[in-house]
Amino acid sequence: MRCFISFMFLQESLLEPSVPDEHLLSLKFVFGSSAVQALDLVDRQSVTLISSPSGRRVYQVLGSSGRTYVCLASCHYCSCPAFAFSVLRKGDSLLCKHLLAVYLSQVMRTCQQLSVSDKQLTDVLLMEKTQEAS
Amino acid sequence: MAETLRRVLNSGGAAGPGEENTAEAEPPLLLLGGHGSGKTALLFAAALEAAGEGRGPVLFLTRRPLQSLPRRIGAALEPLRLQIRFQYPPSTRELLRLLCSAHETRGPAPSLLLLDGLEEYLTEDPGSQETAYLAALLLDTAAHFSHRVGSGRGCGLIVALQTQEEGDSATAPQLALLQRYFPAQCWLQPDAPGPGQHCLRACLEPGGLGARAEWRVTFRQDGEMTVTPWPTQAGDTSLHKGSSSGGQP
Repeated sequence: MRCFISFMFLQESLLEPSVPDEHLLSLKFVFGSSAVQALDLVDRQSVTLISSPSGRRVYQVLGSSGRTYVCLASCHYCSCPAFAFSVLRKGDSLLCKHLLAVYLSQVMRTCQQLSVSDKQLTDVLLMEKTQEAS
Repeated sequence: MAETLRRVLNSGGAAGPGEENTAEAEPPLLLLGGHGSGKTALLFAAALEAAGEGRGPVLFLTRRPLQSLPRRIGAALEPLRLQIRFQYPPSTRELLRLLCSAHETRGPAPSLLLLDGLEEYLTEDPGSQETAYLAALLLDTAAHFSHRVGSGRGCGLIVALQTQEEGDSATAPQLALLQRYFPAQCWLQPDAPGPGQHCLRACLEPGGLGARAEWRVTFRQDGEMTVTPWPTQAGDTSLHKGSSSGGQP
């Protein structure tokens, strides 16, 4: 069973068990096909908030291909190729499905949480560089 | 850090406490200009300004040690200089490692993060993703420091990037990409030099959070830097200390 949510009405509908279809339509209008894919990622618990004792945090999203991507918590960045292409280079998308999934998770306050050591968090932040290279 | 830079420029380049501290975090700022346009000197002035506020140390990142610390007008600045911590990551990879591991170090969090010479870390023909990753990590590191600083303005971020004189088609998309991550920009352009002087025009675009403003920055041969508001009357070259800094309407 899917749960639907809309950014435009999030104050009221945040904790509702189901959200009217028109909110889903608004979401799809604004975000395009990413909306449905992002909701899917949230439903499948694919978004994990990783934090360390330092207080620094980063998101990791398990993509549909089985690869994990890193999304920064403080600003708009995802390590996936779609972000580099559609958002940065072509500029025809506001975000990729992973970033949208992260924002949806924040709004819905449902997210896997994972605590790691400071050094492990460094590796998560750095690891995406090697992911890109491969 | 547009407001910090504005304070530096408004106070005529002298460091020291001045106006009220704003309570909110300032957007990251990109300092742009050609070779020798005074970016390093302005970064250092901002470092002294922040150090003078006493909210925490300043972290100054650059590829090579500064040949000489820019001279400043004002009172004895030695204690302030000690609050500025220099680090010299020799490669892009080392810079990334430094930013990714910034949370591992304990102690007081910096109140200002400065990077001089971003172009030196982007020379290995980076694609959009690498450039965005570096910009985003700079923001994320400053955000983490802000979180540790706690309430108030948090940690500011100013990054200096050397631009080409001619419009270089290869760097233009890179600059557009960086501007997405750095909403505030300050442009330094050469101005007609006086005798024994090197003059620049500094134009601050705070990215929607304040008025656009301009100043004239002058470097004397002995390295001393003075800053005055840019004359708002066309063709008026006299210096008006009290003139408005509102720039164009």
